[in-house]
Parts: sequence; C-alpha cells; structure tokens
Amino acid sequence: MVALTAPPVERPAEPRRRNKPSRRLSPLLLAFVLVPLAVEAFWVFWPAIQGVYLSFTNWDGISPPTNVGLGNYTEMATDPVFGKALLDTVIWLVLFGGVSAVGGLAMAIFLQRERRGVGIYRAALFTPVVFSLVATSLIWQAMYQPDGLINNVLGGLGLESWQRSWLSESGTALYAVIVPALWRQVGYVMVLYLAGLKGIDPVLYEAATVDGASKWQQFTKITLPQLKSVNSVVLSVIVIDSLRSFDVVWSLTKGGPFHSSELLSTYMYATAFQSLRLGYASALAVVIFLLAFGVIVTYLVRAFKESDS
Amino acid sequence: MSRRNPLREVGYHVTASALSLLWLLPIILVVVTAFRSFDDVAQNGVGGLPHSFTLDGFAQAWTDGGAAQALINSMLVTVPTVLITLALASVSAFALARYDIPFRRTALLLMLAGNLLPPQILLVPVAKLSEVLGIYDSLTALVVVQVGFGLGFYTFVLHGFMRAIPAEIQQAAVIDGAGAGQLFLRIILPLTRPALAALSALAFTWVFNDLLWAITVLRSEDRMPVTPALLGLQGQFVSQWNVIAAGSVIAAVPTVAVFLRFQRHFVAGLALGAVK
Amino acid sequence: MSIDGLSRRNFLAGLGGLSAAAILGGCATSASTGTGQAGGAVTLQSNLSAPLPKAAMESVVAAFNKKGAAQATLNTVASETFRTQLPSYLTSGNPPDLYTWYAGSVGRSYAKKGLLLDLSDVWSGLTDYSAATKTLSSDDSGKQIIVPITYYWWGMFYRKSNFAKWGVQPPTSWDEFLKVCEALRAKGIEPIGMGAGGTTPWVASAWFDYLDIRINGATYHRELLAGQHRFDDPQVKAVFAKWKEVLPHFDKSATAIPFQDATTSLLQGRTGMMLIGTFFADAAPKDALDDIDFFQFPIIDPKVPIAEEGPTDGFFASAKTPRGPEVKEFLKFLATPEAQELFIKNSAGTVLPVNPKAKDSGTPLVAKGRKMLADAADITQFFNRDSSDALQPTADAALLQFFAQPDQVDSILATWQAAAEKVWQS
Repeated sequence: MVALTAPPVERPAEPRRRNKPSRRLSPLLLAFVLVPLAVEAFWVFWPAIQGVYLSFTNWDGISPPTNVGLGNYTEMATDPVFGKALLDTVIWLVLFGGVSAVGGLAMAIFLQRERRGVGIYRAALFTPVVFSLVATSLIWQAMYQPDGLINNVLGGLGLESWQRSWLSESGTALYAVIVPALWRQVGYVMVLYLAGLKGIDPVLYEAATVDGASKWQQFTKITLPQLKSVNSVVLSVIVIDSLRSFDVVWSLTKGGPFHSSELLSTYMYATAFQSLRLGYASALAVVIFLLAFGVIVTYLVRAFKESDS
Repeated sequence: MSRRNPLREVGYHVTASALSLLWLLPIILVVVTAFRSFDDVAQNGVGGLPHSFTLDGFAQAWTDGGAAQALINSMLVTVPTVLITLALASVSAFALARYDIPFRRTALLLMLAGNLLPPQILLVPVAKLSEVLGIYDSLTALVVVQVGFGLGFYTFVLHGFMRAIPAEIQQAAVIDGAGAGQLFLRIILPLTRPALAALSALAFTWVFNDLLWAITVLRSEDRMPVTPALLGLQGQFVSQWNVIAAGSVIAAVPTVAVFLRFQRHFVAGLALGAVK
Repeated sequence: MSIDGLSRRNFLAGLGGLSAAAILGGCATSASTGTGQAGGAVTLQSNLSAPLPKAAMESVVAAFNKKGAAQATLNTVASETFRTQLPSYLTSGNPPDLYTWYAGSVGRSYAKKGLLLDLSDVWSGLTDYSAATKTLSSDDSGKQIIVPITYYWWGMFYRKSNFAKWGVQPPTSWDEFLKVCEALRAKGIEPIGMGAGGTTPWVASAWFDYLDIRINGATYHRELLAGQHRFDDPQVKAVFAKWKEVLPHFDKSATAIPFQDATTSLLQGRTGMMLIGTFFADAAPKDALDDIDFFQFPIIDPKVPIAEEGPTDGFFASAKTPRGPEVKEFLKFLATPEAQELFIKNSAGTVLPVNPKAKDSGTPLVAKGRKMLADAADITQFFNRDSSDALQPTADAALLQFFAQPDQVDSILATWQAAAEKVWQS
C-alpha cells in the first residue's frame, strides 16, 4: 500500500448507512469543488443569465434592447419554421443519437483488444473527429452532388432509381446530412466507450467463460451493466451533441433548402447572425437548453438514485 | 489463453481494414485535393479525377494562410487549456464523486448544465465580458473562455469514471491515514488514467478545432489559431479549394499525432487487480 | 462544533461569494466606453481574405505608408467572420478605425445607429466622382458615410468558343433569349446554368433582381426591398410569371451545386450561359479567361428605363475613432486613381475603379462592362446590399422553393412577405 508521512487521523471513521468514506470536509476539498464552479459561474453562467434576460427583449446587437416580455416565446408558438426545426431536432436526436451510441459501442468492442495494428484502426475512426470541417464538408458536398461519387456508386450498383440531389431535395436533405455527422461522431463515442471498457475487470470475463457463458451473455450480463456509469456519460454527450449539432449541418446546407434541414441550433444561429434578431435567438437558445436539460436530468436523477441505493 | 485462430485473425484484419478505408475515404479525397492545382480543380470540379500533382497548395497555405503562426497560436491556446481544464475538472470530479459533500449532485448538474447551453448564444456576452476585463483580442482570453466552457463536461465525465472505483480502495487508504490530497494524487488519479487519456485526446481536438470562440474573442489575424485562419483562405466569393484542403491537412497533423500518442494509454489496464 | 454545520456554512458562504463575483462582470448589452488613444497607426479591418485581393490591399497600404502623411496597418479576417462580427467590432470600446464594406442600404443601416464617421469633408474633395456615386454613398440625412473604390457588374456570361460551336448568337431581347435557350436545348445542352445550391443560394437572387428591374423598374425594386411594397403584390407576381417562361431551360442541377461548380459546368460546356457577377472569373482556370464574354440581361419591356446591377465596394470608418484626420487622409488616398489602379493591378482584374480618371485593366471584356454600366439609367447593388443581410435568407428560402415547386407561387410569396415583415419590423 501507499507509504504515508502524514500523521494518522485521530477521529475514527464514522459508521454510516452508506458504504462511503469519511464525511470530513477539509478546506482543500471545498476548494476542489468551489474553484471550478467559480470559473464556470463567471464565464458561463453569467453570460447565460444575460442570454436568458435577452430572450425577453428585442435586440439587434447594436442599439439598446427593448423589452417585449414573453413576445419572443409567443412568436415561437406560431412560427412554422420553429415547428419544423423542433421536429427535425427530435428526428436528429433519435437517429443521430441512437446510431452513434450503437455504432460507437460496436466499434469500441470490436477494437478493444490490444492487437497489432489496432491503434491504426482506432486512429482511422477518430480522424474524422480531428479533421477540420471546412475541408471535409467540401468533399461531402462534392460527393453528394448529382454527378458526384455517391450517385456514381449507386449507378454502378445498378440502383439508378435511388440517385438524387441529396442535399438540395427537401425530402432527403436532413437525412443526407446525418451521414457525415455520424461519420464524425462514431469515432468520438468509440473513444469514450474504449475508456469505459478498459475499466471493466477482466477477471469477470474469465470467470464467466469458465462458467460457460456465451459471448452474447457476457455482453448483456457483464459488459452492459458495468458500463452503466459510462453510459450515463455517453448518453449526456449524445444528447448534448445532438442538440448542439451545428457545424456539419451549417457547412453543408445552412439549414436549407428552404428550411428542409433546419435544426433548432441552425435556426438559432441564423436568427442571431443573419437576421440579427438576438432576442428571438436567445429565446430559441433557452428552449434548446430546456430540452437538453429535461432529457438529461430525468435520466441522471434516476441513475443517481439507483447507484446510491 | 485463447488460441489465435489464424483465420479469425485474417478475418479481423480484413474487416477492420475495410472499415478504416471506408471511414478514411473523405479524408483521402481531401488529401488528393490538396495535391491538385487550382486550375485543375476549376476545370474538372472538386469531385473530378485529378489531372495534376503539385505542392503549390501546401506552399500557399503555409505562406498566405500564415499556417506557421496560426499553428503556434493554436498550440499556445490548446496545451494550457487542456492542462488547466483537466486539472480543475479532475479535482472537482474527485471531490464530488468520492465524498459525501452536501449538494454534490446539484453542483454536478449545475456544472453539466453549463454545457447544455448552445455556445452561439454566449458569444456576444462573453465578448463583452472579455472586453471589460481588458483581455479582448488576446490568447489569454481564449484560454480562459475555453476552460470555463469545457469544465462542466469534463467534470461530469470524470465523475462518471471516478464513481466506478470501488469504495474499498479508498477506505483502505483512509485507514492508512491518507488525506484528501494524497488520496487524489496517489490513488484515484492513477486509476482514472484511461479516462484522462481519452479526455486529453478529445479536449485537444476540440480546442484545436474550435472556431466560434476564436472569432469571438480575437480580432487580429496574427493571433488567430489555425481553424479560423483556414477559414480566411475562403475568399468572399471564390475559394481556392486546393489551398484550403492543403491547409486542413497541415492543421490535422498535430491532432492526429496527439491521438496516436494518447491512444496507447487507453491500453493501460487498471491496477484494480492489485487490490486483491 | 458539528462538522456538518461548518461545512454547510462554508458552502453557502462560498456560494454567496460566487454570486457577488458574477454580478461584477460586464453586461452584454451596454455599449462599451473605450479609451482609444490618439496618434498611432490607422487600423484597417479588412474582409478581403482571398490571397489575391489580400495582396492587393497590402500593396495599397504599403503605398500609403510610403507617402508618409500617416501610417496604416492592415488586419484581414475571413469574410464570413467579418460579417458576423462587424456589429461587435463597431460597438466595442476600442474599435478598428476603417473597415471594408459595401455601398447601399447595407452600409446605411450602421449609419442610422450613429456608428459611422461623417465623411462629407473627404467627399468635398472628390470632385471626379459622379453624383450618382455620391448619392449611393450617402446616408438618409445626406451625409456621406462611405468612400467607394471599386465596382463590378453582373451579366449573362458564356464561353465564346462554345457559342460558336453551337451556332448561337448572344440575344438582345427576351424573345431572342428564349429562342437561344430552345436552340441549346435541342443540342442537348442545359441552356441556363446557376449555382444556387450548397452554400451559395444567394446567386438565385440575381434572377429575381434582374427580372424585377426589367419589368417593374429599379425604383420599385429598391422600394420593395426597403419594405414599402409587399412581396405578394401583383407586380412581384408578374416577375414570377415571366420567370416561369424560362424556368424549363434551367440546368436541372441549378439548385444542387454551389456557383463555383456551376462555373466549372459552364466552362466544360455542359451549360450554355450563367447570370453571374464578374467575380466568377476568379474561379476559372487561366486559359479560359480570354474565352469568356457576356451579354446584357435581355430587355423585357423597352419602356422601362434600363438598370443594371453594379455592386460597389468601399470603406467606412468608425465614429469613435480617435484618429479622424489620419483616417480621412487614408480615404482621400484610396479615392485617387493611383491607389485604385494599384489595387486593380494586384487583384483579380475584373473590377472597375470608381474614380472615372483611373484606368481599368483594359481588356475588351472590362471595357464592355464599363460601357454597359455607364449607359445604364440606374444602378442597383444586389439584393442583400440594397436591403440587408437579414433579408437575404428570406429570399433564398423563397426562391429555392420556387425552383422546387413552381406552382406554389402564391403561398411562397405569402410566406416570403411574412418572413420579410419580421425583418423589416425588427
């Protein structure tokens, strides 16, 4: 064990119902919690509070804002673009979130064992995360063009009827954009799951193999339960990223054509920086935040309760 | 020890290689574009087959795009940000995960909530805030802003990993007389190494590739990190795609290198077995 | 002394301290009061980020610095960055002194908010500039706020060798134009190219602008964009009715590819002609440049005074600058033929200098463009420059939907009007 030079603690460890260590709070611990909180409060919470305040105003970024009370929110209720963006965001959350979680986990499991070359494969999946979107969106746009790579491949496979103007047709634009977004996201989710899988004691698997459990049984009875706390992280990540998914959509379609691939995040950006209606954009941001918060908090509160019991 | 079935080995490598190739296809196309001449791209389109091979794109990205200075700026921002953020996040996660602090769950959710806000809406208030503090248009502002904005998320992730460590290890150390600091540095931190390695790689990538914060708090072109500098290669109307592709390749080198270096740490098995 | 009580009190005290600290931060909506120091170099914030115009700008700044009256430093950022950050630049405590920007309503909106320096005394020395240019550079109260230095034109560009190969001549009237389209169609070529897909949907607005100024006149067009008419007026409906006549002749990829790729299609001979501005020449390979020619957008109604799109680029200054005299020196220099010729020589070469005494690059193409704009009775600036950057996305949505669903004109126009009203009222 670790050799220590500090004198032993005089107070005995207090017996508690829960199997947690000492409740003594040194000033160090308090600092551990409060300093990061203070940093975040200053740079994030304070601007966020201003953002919430702005959502009750009309502001063009230059002249002083004018108060409109709940006007922005009532406008949202009757705004057809908002409705479309909301629907698209939910679709995005389910499709993008679901596939990236499953895909990332699958990749992590596939590439978890340390063999020769596994580093290269992992890096290959992670490279899209790393590469600047300015160039990769250009390539994706070229691939999606009517005479681009994807249509050519479909033609080569004899699937001419599937050929489309993927990014410029209102029916396909949203789904076409999910593909590059997933392409970028899977590597990232894989990395999180890899770290989580590393935390599972290999002894558990050995014991299960000795007991005759199949690979699938090992997966469902050992891997998945052990990944519970990682799962809460991954779920939060996916919800956050889905709701904040912005760059991929913006760089490919800007939410178009005529709002066919509009997400709440692109609509908010367009409202803030193209239409210069920062009050309405702030209201949209508040809605995005409430959505994300609602989804994550319900899951997390449940997860916390389970783990503490 | 399982026998290494050679057929399964081959199957594994074939599948993994095919997958990697598929995944890398758009990147390969970017690299190919980087080696084409502008006239070739203009003549045959971005999606056309290359008819040229030249290093002009790279030369131009390096000089016109100011890639040298931009890369230095990026490193000046990214390395301190990653170090400071992970340091603060790990101590915060440690305190919240391993100790029964009052309101700890609220504090955690509060920190995470900071990341749920769409960053676009924070841009204008943060710009004004950095101006008030007198650090507008400085790399310090960018570091501070990135630290503040990423903190909640990394705390949350590390909290998840630290919570998974069994209580027995901590109790054993406490009985031996370890204080909070010792516990953190000697026991918990080493056990969280895979998560820290993963987060370092991710954090490096994100901060390096960040665009919005950089253009919000920075104004001078010689302070711009690499990603906004790349954007500058796009003209008002017409863009030189071969130069932009070359610039992207240059900009990707540090982050891929960091990832390759760190992903070995995902390998390190836990020392959990030592507790028995 | 309970440990719990101590820790809770500490905690709450910590939180109280946090809130106090948080309130001390600056408020986002207050305009910053700045301490700009007089003296020092004039700071020029430029959005000309492509390598050639950037080099051109650098050479102009160097020439000015050599003159010695004052010094200037150039700072270039990406044009999209510049556009989103411009309000932030202008309202900051220590704003840059000079900015590249455009003439038209898109510049006047900042003047209305009192952010721009009055440049009337610079203009009193610009005797060579035309009266029309002066009006273009003035705000609503008649003060000049911008000094333009270059402008360019829009036209129907085509490849001379291709037209010769297909045996068609540039048309002058609308009926001739339709005949040319039909002839090209018969040869299996997409007659009209357009690159309104991807990230350049604004290119489609050129068609709207031109049809509107040919049918309803430039004055109506400008008033429409300013909110004095409605998008569902019968005059606008007439524009779309005319557009439907030529709609079948558009390239089927018209809204699927960005204009740079549409330029490639045009030069490869897959499309016949394209309504585009001269900036597209930068996207062409050098050996194709001599082969490019254009014709004026066909006349539809001979009774309507001829107007053309001639977007004008220039500079304006922040009202808060502490270096007013030096800024004005620089602007005076920019307005000279010497500076404009230097700029044009080092940039792409298809722009025209605003100063009538300055020489342009001298090619036949440029001479033709200059003449076309000089003969026009009125010059408009382009949709977003005549209205605002906020109105442009409403046009993009409406026009792209028109291409996808041409029978839905009425509902499209109603939606457009609703979206535009939100912009005009804010």
